[in-house]
Amino acid sequence: MRCIEVKDLTKTFTTKVKQEGFKQSLKSMIKPEYATVEAVSNISFTVDEGEIMAFIGPNGAGKSTTIKMLTGILHPTDGSISVLGLDPAKKRRQLAAQIGTVFGQKSQLWFHLPPTDSFRLLADIYEVPKDEYTSRLNYLVEMFDIGDLLKTPVRKLSLGQRVRCEIAASLLHQPKILFLDEPTIGLDVVVKQKIRELILHINKEYNTTIFLTSHDAGDIEKICKRAMIIDHGKIVLDESVKKLKYDYLNMKIISARFFEKQKPVSMDGVKIIKSTDYAASLHVDTEKVSINEVISMISKDGNLADITINDPPMEEIILDIFKKTAAGAP
Amino acid sequence: MFMYTEAKKILRLFTRYFKLNLSSQMEYRASFLVQVFGMAINNATFIFFWWLAFGVAGEYIAGYTFKDIMFLWAVTSSAFGLAHILFYNVHRISNLIITGELDTFLLQPVPVLPNILGAGTSVSAWGDLVYGVVLLAIVWGLSAKVWIIFVLAVMLGAVIFTCVNILAHTLTFYIGNAEMIASTVFEFMISFSIYPDKIFSGIVRILIYSLLPAAFISHIPLRLVKDFNIGTLAIWLAFAIGFLVLSFVFFYRGLRKYESGNLIVTRM
Repeated sequence: MRCIEVKDLTKTFTTKVKQEGFKQSLKSMIKPEYATVEAVSNISFTVDEGEIMAFIGPNGAGKSTTIKMLTGILHPTDGSISVLGLDPAKKRRQLAAQIGTVFGQKSQLWFHLPPTDSFRLLADIYEVPKDEYTSRLNYLVEMFDIGDLLKTPVRKLSLGQRVRCEIAASLLHQPKILFLDEPTIGLDVVVKQKIRELILHINKEYNTTIFLTSHDAGDIEKICKRAMIIDHGKIVLDESVKKLKYDYLNMKIISARFFEKQKPVSMDGVKIIKSTDYAASLHVDTEKVSINEVISMISKDGNLADITINDPPMEEIILDIFKKTAAGAP
Repeated sequence: MFMYTEAKKILRLFTRYFKLNLSSQMEYRASFLVQVFGMAINNATFIFFWWLAFGVAGEYIAGYTFKDIMFLWAVTSSAFGLAHILFYNVHRISNLIITGELDTFLLQPVPVLPNILGAGTSVSAWGDLVYGVVLLAIVWGLSAKVWIIFVLAVMLGAVIFTCVNILAHTLTFYIGNAEMIASTVFEFMISFSIYPDKIFSGIVRILIYSLLPAAFISHIPLRLVKDFNIGTLAIWLAFAIGFLVLSFVFFYRGLRKYESGNLIVTRM
């Protein structure tokens, strides 16, 4: 079942334009000039129930604007949106009751109070019945391991602890869709991993649809099944993460260790990432040269001790896509 | 029916916020008490000033007795206090719009404006509220008529104070940061409420009966105390309700222009 349907969505902002200097400042006061900026330009996509979707793009690509339109914060300039069968701009409150949001840069928790007070307030706001609230809270406390944090004022929590509480807060009313905007921003590796596990768990257990924006390629690689890439307000790619990894780039990373000293490899389609006397990391473009050829080349002296072949990290793939779109060839 | 459930929801929200705000402030107990008593002492110095002024001028200043002026003070102070205990967050509207923090409120399934208004309190406002009550009791005694009008005036006054702020802050949607405008407007409101209205003439007089309705905070209640008239009472009530509707409509129209933002902030 479709739970998000977006058609020809466009959002433009009007901004004042001013040239440099005092004279121009005066001029712009008397006769301001305006320019329209298209933050999101004619995008269409759908998300199915239970899907985990990554929404990726550089700063200013239109990610946040899109997510804000999907949640009813901003009104579209043009096009149509249907989230859980509702138009977010018209049915903001009805929709809000059925979705959860974690915006990494904004907190739902009261800074000076312990999370449990904020939870209680949110349960009221979302009209969660009392007994349901108790059992739900118990479940979330156990899953997110936040029992010890409930009574500590939020200002005294670490960022990782706070994010866990934020996500728990957004799940109190059992949302059908969870919007996560940069949920792992600023977190260390261990906490990031934990958060990712939790997101996956929620998706599996309740079939909650996850719509996630992130800068962190790891987030996408580890949790998402599908990735949509947006740049300059346009969707430049909409693929399964698997396909993205295996098909989009014909790149492999070969790491090898040697028994004896070796000479740096030099082949068309092979870039050296790192090379020492006894080890090398190579970036292989399989369109230009086959893996087979590269392996034969480096093992021809018979001194190969160990070899691993990996896909390139997600980060690199995304970077490459951006480079290609910037060059005008998606 | 819809209106009734809506009202009930909003009331529940306010109650919850009220408790939460109070406990949030009580986290800092010493500061809480200092602020409450500090405000009461601060206000008391102004009585002393008026007492001196009447000592020099005689029984009347601009047609008002010392007792009349104290009524203006009591109502204004308590209305100001009530408004800030319940709806202190009104002062943050401009800031919420500019920083994009309004998003948090828009993401919740409750009416936006009441949700914003209830989400903050001022501690010292308790001092203002209590101060007005004590002042009235000392100067006017325990006349039932005076107290009924006083209580009504405090409630309507709190609404009018809040609505003036809503109107001023809503300008931020249209012209950018209106925080300065709002605080100036609010200071005007307070000043006009605590002086005899006869000293204002011309445009200012029109203003205090319209867009900056200070007259409806304290002067009209005083008139009712001195000379009760059902017509005046009706106009007073109608004005307060009309003003409330106006400020809400203006805010929701402005909200359509909201552009959101991405500053990194915490909710205080």
